[in-house]
Amino acid sequence: MARITLEDLSLKDYRLTPRVSHLKEVYFRAVPEICVERPRLLTRYYLEHGLFEKDRISALEKARAYRHILEKRKAVVAHERFCGEAMKLEKFKDFSLFAGSTTSKFKGVPLYPEFLALQLWHGLWTLKQRESNPYFIADKEVEELNYEVFPYWMDRNVQELTRARCYKENEEKYGLEKHAPEMKLFEKLRYFMASKPKCISHTTPDFSRAVGEGLRGIIDDAKSRGRDARSDYQREFYEAMVEVMEGIIAYSRNLAGEAAKLAHRERDAARKEKLSAIAAVHRRVPEHPAANFREALTAVWICWTAIHLENPNVGLSLGRLDQVLYPVYRRDIDDGTLAIEEAIELLCCLWLKIGDHVPAVPAEGEKLFAGTGSNQAITIGGVDGEGRDAVNDLTYVMLRATELMMLRDPNLNARYYPGVNAENYLRRICEANINTGATPAIHNDEAVIKTLSGKGETLEHARDYAVIGCVEPASNGRSYGHSGAVLMNLAAILELALYNGKDRYSGRKALISLETGDPTTFKNFEEFKEALKAQITWFVKQATALNNIFGKTHQDFQPTPILSSFFEGPMAKGRDLIMGGAVYNSSGVAIIGLADVADSLSAIQRVVFEEKVVSFKELLDALDNNFEGYEALQKRLANPAKTPKYGNEHPPADANAAWLIEFLDGELGRLDNYRGGKYRVGFWTMTNHAGFGMITKATPNGRKDYENFASGITPVSGATPYLTPALNSAAGLPARCIANGMALNLKYTPEAGDKMLDNFVATVSGYFDDMGGEREGGMEIQFNVTNRATFEDAVAHPEKYPELLVRVSGYTAYFKDLNPQMQKEIIDRTEYLLSTGSAVRYEPFPLPREDG
Amino acid sequence: MIATSKRNALNLVPVIFTDAVGQFVGRLVNRRLKRELVSEATETFLVLILRGMALTFYLSKGYRRNIKGFRGCFVMRTFDGLVRTSIIFDDGEMKVVEEERDDWDTRITFADAAALQRFMFSPDRDILDAIVGGALESEGNNNHMYKFGFLAQDLARRLGVLEAVNF
Repeated sequence: MARITLEDLSLKDYRLTPRVSHLKEVYFRAVPEICVERPRLLTRYYLEHGLFEKDRISALEKARAYRHILEKRKAVVAHERFCGEAMKLEKFKDFSLFAGSTTSKFKGVPLYPEFLALQLWHGLWTLKQRESNPYFIADKEVEELNYEVFPYWMDRNVQELTRARCYKENEEKYGLEKHAPEMKLFEKLRYFMASKPKCISHTTPDFSRAVGEGLRGIIDDAKSRGRDARSDYQREFYEAMVEVMEGIIAYSRNLAGEAAKLAHRERDAARKEKLSAIAAVHRRVPEHPAANFREALTAVWICWTAIHLENPNVGLSLGRLDQVLYPVYRRDIDDGTLAIEEAIELLCCLWLKIGDHVPAVPAEGEKLFAGTGSNQAITIGGVDGEGRDAVNDLTYVMLRATELMMLRDPNLNARYYPGVNAENYLRRICEANINTGATPAIHNDEAVIKTLSGKGETLEHARDYAVIGCVEPASNGRSYGHSGAVLMNLAAILELALYNGKDRYSGRKALISLETGDPTTFKNFEEFKEALKAQITWFVKQATALNNIFGKTHQDFQPTPILSSFFEGPMAKGRDLIMGGAVYNSSGVAIIGLADVADSLSAIQRVVFEEKVVSFKELLDALDNNFEGYEALQKRLANPAKTPKYGNEHPPADANAAWLIEFLDGELGRLDNYRGGKYRVGFWTMTNHAGFGMITKATPNGRKDYENFASGITPVSGATPYLTPALNSAAGLPARCIANGMALNLKYTPEAGDKMLDNFVATVSGYFDDMGGEREGGMEIQFNVTNRATFEDAVAHPEKYPELLVRVSGYTAYFKDLNPQMQKEIIDRTEYLLSTGSAVRYEPFPLPREDG
Repeated sequence: MIATSKRNALNLVPVIFTDAVGQFVGRLVNRRLKRELVSEATETFLVLILRGMALTFYLSKGYRRNIKGFRGCFVMRTFDGLVRTSIIFDDGEMKVVEEERDDWDTRITFADAAALQRFMFSPDRDILDAIVGGALESEGNNNHMYKFGFLAQDLARRLGVLEAVNF
């Protein structure tokens, strides 16, 4: 059976239908609304069933709570109102082809009081007024949260349960009261962030069984295994799976009932027919196998909404949808029951549904990390488990839907296997990047599969990887990798080596970590590297130890029967994901500040120890003074012609970057997590390179106080005047050590004509090339293809650019939603003109708004 | 913080009058606090806001509902030890003592009154700067801190100055 039958791979003749155009227009006008439905139902259930008093909550207890929510939540077939920009509710006609939503609102902000929803508490009355990304909430909803929801969770969310665990353990061990040094470092905010208080997430379930067998098939399997269970835990776990699957079926039936009711009342014949069709679809799926493409998409969507009820969406990703859905798509196309325009319209409607919620970010978070979506990745293309070309017609159809919609979520990721996938496929992916300015990200299958195999995944499983959240690869539906478990500020660790483990900020010079020696006494660069190694080792231990403690809290209070039901492993093992039920059980650490730290090492090596331009003491004085009085030194340190910089094929600079990656992988890779897996290292930063940058003082690479770090694995902005060396430096890094993914962010100036596309394709091909094994080849690359004038105008007139999509460092975002520091970072990124291969010279952009 | 006789008198306000009247009285007696909320904080800000809270708990049933059934101890102090204040909530009652209690749920150590005001009323980078710069340290249950922040915002709302405060 031919997988590619399309005559025009670009599908350029297919446009947005009036239905989708209308929905999209409303979508971009809609202000997110806080939804209190889930916290209300969950809190009441906990109160009625005594779950707040329990020392441990089983998967079955949790499953019953989720079933209750699924059965009781409002079945919204078509939204009637959305919140407009004036914070007023406006009526509209919701003609989406899909019913149901992740919240009860058109664009909702779901709350999870068992995680970090209480962070919004102190600002509830001002959510509507806040400058950055405001949320609508009605006064009565504020009161409900304040009086009837939040008080019950004060001691019962993951963070405080973990703190109580630390207190108890430390009191037993050391006799000290209220002692939780494990939390203290984390709560200083500067060094690392732990995601577990916020979510479980960061993984890709697989919907093959839901689509192919229906949830009834999963229920039958769980029941059968439950009868043969070897322990009470297993028996309960299988029962939990049955409970949640029945809950999802009930929710879909409620939607069917509501759609039928609306159809009955409807006088418009066409609308009546659409509603009746929705009712018919929901009577069948996801309970039974999907009979057609629309049913398959609906099954995925309804299961997706259910997963959201269990767990905040932070990088929850949908996996290889072009593979999961292809058989049913092909059948419908071949039968003549589905036309391509219908498939595109269905996907456009689904894409909008996937983006029907935004994460709840408190105002403080907005200052540091504004503009983030949920980072829901969809993966297309690549190879199948046997290594064969897996690109199919649906791959191109999804690409076209993405191109037409230009949405932040879902975050499309295209896999490309050089030599296996066709070159015209790569060309089409690059073309989509030019057309959208930012998507999809492109992953090099050859390098990724080798890396995952090297971390213990079977070749077949590694080939079937999907992308999580931003850029993290993991075997689709088999690996619970919690890829964003820890986000670590490498520059803050460098500071500890520079300041002998002491706090550089408070003026009290308190010891934060280890005393690794006063660098002014070091005789050579190796001594400094040893100090840095010791600091990294110490830090990695602290961060992973805390992650493991948080993980134990998840195990005691947050079993995941819904997510577990869509994974390979839990069913066979009779064990929840959170207990190590998946086939692969790694945890992911993302490192922020790689290029700045690598360049700082090169600066110390060259300027202090080799050329002895300044002493270490003078360098530290310069840093303490933010280079005031040391302007010549700062210029020298920042100049790639005088100080080696990663990204220019300067051997010592690239070697320092490679050394850091290998060392971090070695240190983290030998540590066990709480589920019996290992830690993996990645270099993607979301907005954290701006967030951590704005709280970190000057660094030896010439970076001044509070300036942005470079994003992902990208060289420092302005340090790489030529594109080819930048790509070669990144392609020469040890990809085998980067199993948690990397983001190489490049910015190209849009140019007219086909030549730009030719050059675009050539740069990706060259970057992925392993040069016959001489190097490992780049793993991932992503782009912004928007000119500076547009960005500058968007800063001045954000209202003119509601849909301006940008690649941050991993995920995509709307430029207008980013905080000033992040907008500046995007604008200041090195911008290359593909026709010359050289960077375009610009002056650094001033911070866009005063509040930055 | 409030004498017993005054407390008894204040207790009668919500019994005799509606919540709106209580709120009106609250606005009158908290005039100085209102001024400080919308302008520069002085060294008396902490005393004023705590007194304002305590008064409003008496005057307004709606505001008092915030702490019905709530027990918690919130310690605020300065690095130099000049300020040591414990705020104790106990099922509808608020008590402030000028000493550092050991049974705290949350303990915040801050630099000065201005830092305190930013902490409670400015959910922005100033607080982050204070935390990451070591000018403010928080220990213990963060949710108590968020609840306390809500109480402060809710007070400002009831005093009619919420939108004028520089959030």
